Amino acid sequence: MAFLSRTAPHHGTATSPPFDRARLIQWLIFLVTASLMLAPALPILLQVVVDRPLYADDWQFTFGNIAQIFQSERIGRIALTTGLFALFSVIIAEVLGIAAALLIGRTDMPGRKVMGDVLMWPLYLSHLIFALGWVIIYGPSGFVTQMIAQSTGEAPWNLYSIAGMSVVAGISQAPLAYLYCLYGAVRSVDSTLESAARTTGAGPLQVLRKVTLPLMIPSIITSTALNLVIAVETLSIPLFLARPARIDTLSTFLYAEGVAASSPNHGLVAASSLLLMTLVGSTLMLQRMLLRHGHRFETVKGKGSRPMVLGLGKLRWPLAILFATVLVATVVVPIAGIILRAFTSFLSPLVPVSKVLTLNNFDKLFADEANIRAIWNTVEIALLSAGLGTVLAVAVSLVIQRSDFRFSATLEALAYSPRIVPGMITGLGVFYAAVILPPMGWLRGNIGIIVVAYVMATLPLAMGVIQPAIVQIGRDLDRAARTVGADWSDAMRIVLLPLLKPALLGSFILLFVFHLKSYIIAIFLMAPGLEVMGVSMLSLWTNGDVGVLAAFAAFQIVLVAKLLLLARFLFKVKIYD
Amino acid sequence: MTELVLSDVSRRYGAALAIDSLNLTVSEGEFLTLLGPSGCGKSTTLASIAGLDQPTRGRITFGGRVLVDAGTGTYLPPEARGFGVVFQSYALWPHMTVENNVAMSLKLRKVPAAERNKRVAGALDLVELGGLAKRYPGELSGGQQQRVALARAIVFRPPLLLLDEPLSNLDAQLRQQARVWLKDIQRELGLTTIYVTHDQDEALAMSDRIVVMRGGKVIQLGPPKDIYRDPQHPFAASFIGNANLLEVTGSAVTEPGACTVTLADGQPIRGRAPVGGLVSGKQLLAVRPHLIRHEACEDASEVTVEFGAESYLGDHFEQDVHVAGVTIRLSVDEPQPRGPGRIWVRQQDAVIFSRQQAD
Repeated sequence: MAFLSRTAPHHGTATSPPFDRARLIQWLIFLVTASLMLAPALPILLQVVVDRPLYADDWQFTFGNIAQIFQSERIGRIALTTGLFALFSVIIAEVLGIAAALLIGRTDMPGRKVMGDVLMWPLYLSHLIFALGWVIIYGPSGFVTQMIAQSTGEAPWNLYSIAGMSVVAGISQAPLAYLYCLYGAVRSVDSTLESAARTTGAGPLQVLRKVTLPLMIPSIITSTALNLVIAVETLSIPLFLARPARIDTLSTFLYAEGVAASSPNHGLVAASSLLLMTLVGSTLMLQRMLLRHGHRFETVKGKGSRPMVLGLGKLRWPLAILFATVLVATVVVPIAGIILRAFTSFLSPLVPVSKVLTLNNFDKLFADEANIRAIWNTVEIALLSAGLGTVLAVAVSLVIQRSDFRFSATLEALAYSPRIVPGMITGLGVFYAAVILPPMGWLRGNIGIIVVAYVMATLPLAMGVIQPAIVQIGRDLDRAARTVGADWSDAMRIVLLPLLKPALLGSFILLFVFHLKSYIIAIFLMAPGLEVMGVSMLSLWTNGDVGVLAAFAAFQIVLVAKLLLLARFLFKVKIYD
Repeated sequence: MTELVLSDVSRRYGAALAIDSLNLTVSEGEFLTLLGPSGCGKSTTLASIAGLDQPTRGRITFGGRVLVDAGTGTYLPPEARGFGVVFQSYALWPHMTVENNVAMSLKLRKVPAAERNKRVAGALDLVELGGLAKRYPGELSGGQQQRVALARAIVFRPPLLLLDEPLSNLDAQLRQQARVWLKDIQRELGLTTIYVTHDQDEALAMSDRIVVMRGGKVIQLGPPKDIYRDPQHPFAASFIGNANLLEVTGSAVTEPGACTVTLADGQPIRGRAPVGGLVSGKQLLAVRPHLIRHEACEDASEVTVEFGAESYLGDHFEQDVHVAGVTIRLSVDEPQPRGPGRIWVRQQDAVIFSRQQAD
């Protein structure tokens, strides 16, 4: 290979290491990443142009699947629904997130710290749990809906609609917009700019609108793109809220055709996956184009000066009460609803709660061996995937940022490619790959197959934590190691890795929590004995076991909460901070 | 003789040429300084020697060993070259004690523990930090960190020591002490040293030879005294010793030697051309501020001037002098009264360069 000749002595008395260990390691990292990323993607592309399932014999090439998509009126309607849903939910998420970032990050609104913490809850919980909470409280037979219907005689709203889905998805994605705006802009904006505006006579709200808000535009664009992607690929919110009303989005369509159907139409599923990936890919391309001159990593270094706090004056309390009411109604009440439902046999305003209290749901939950297995599988898979994912992410990041590896740009593109692949499709691709690629066959039937899918899907997430941390470490530190005799791999091991410890721990915990609540990636990989919590919960929903589902959800909420508290106090790691 | 030889070395970054066909030979035990303003290519040259950067053209050898040769694609990574490097930022590893920072090179070379401890202690004693072995870099002052960086660079007895502005982060007083101390250690160990700086005092005080660089090219190379007393280039004259540069008119001079030029207002000045090759017309006159007299003396040209504002600099004054429409600086013990007056410039102090040389 050509790269080896660079270090080989050509003439004279030049000596060079007989064996270039660093190069070998870099190629290994490259090959592992490339096969991990491409193995699931290529079978999907192949399936698009093949007339029957990949695992069937003697398939023929065809463009029928693509033609079917463009001819089908149903798929057109579904794409339109998906687009509308994504648009509305992103608008809601961004408006809430931006308002929260400004109010919490920049003003003297009372109770802003507690409210900031509560706002983050949806991010720690899965869409599945959040959607369940909303159904229990605000669904057609939900607690609050019924309460209002009793006094007015009719249901005040219909949660099972595009508008209903958009509100739920919007609120559960608001924390992401909030985080990006808070750390990308609100906290990093030079407060003297604001002071300057105030000296010219601008009031605090005018300052926020005219000075702070425009500086937030890059953060808004980035979080909008991410939220669009999440809205397009989310499954449980449309599945819980839209399916009962016979509304389909691309994700519920894929689920229905690919998993729930008795004879899945794989060609159609693959083709619609491609459509979904194209949607997501073009969104992210648009974001890159808009931010071409923006910063790559929105890391914010404390400049030592605390951002100035804007006084809200008379608006302090009214704004605080408004904000708190929104939070309680949209976040606290649905979650409280889940917990309450878990401990009751029936939840209705007509029956006093004390009369229906029971531990039955939990008894049923833990009586089923499959559920116990799901819990242990999930913990095992989450631990393995978080560990392996962090190791791969740091290895890839170090090659990209700290080596002269010739294909590091390609490596970076590969490593970030899962961003355009919705989680469900990652699972689908890994499933196909395990079917047709012999070396992946041994993964079938054990948790390895889910671990592979998880590691692949969350590589960009882990790198998002690790890469900014690497940027903070001066390049001279590893160059110095090279000059005293360390090769690239030694320099990384001796200098970079120890200094990256906090980031690695942060990445591990983030991935662990993510995998614990994850369900969407594993949908296509389910097999008896391979249950994970999220997928078991999904089938509980499909079977209508809401009580047991609520108990399971409550169990997961407690698990995640414990873990986050542990991370915060034991390791001093605050996720998303 | 372990000589370092740079032949025709260039480093191109896109369209920009950071080093432009550099040729240089450094002999054993020599202290060579690369001196120039920021962006002149001195640090890139040092990085190319260390192996931290790869020249796009040319070849570097050390004692017959090819370090890098762009022509054949040979490139030895820094760890295979084994040169000691002191970084401007010191680049001490913050998660290791002073002792471990210094010991790393020996651990990587698998030096047995007993021998290693002896040599680390020796290196720390040499830089007078024996008592701080267990400290972490964050607990040391800037001057102490700089010493640890030096100990780390010399503990494995490298054949070549490379220093990239090692004193630029120290305050003025400390810098002067460190200069003497660093030179002593270098002499004691007989280390071949390449030193990069933009500080002319450091270069003059420490070097055996100085390479004056600008725009990726060598402007002048020689011992400090030659560089200072006999600049061969207007840039060398102005960068070292802050010579005044004036545009003058003169006739063609082919050989080095005496010549006469006229200022823009017609006043003649007798001077000397160090390199010759002057074409008739616009030329450049370089004269150092402290060599301009305000009393008549032998073999000097008299110039009518206008004395201007002075600034007090402690041991001397610097005074502006307006002549032929430009302002030059004068270094004097006592400022002259403002207004019309006269100055004298000796022929040997008025150095004439061709106008083209300056570009």
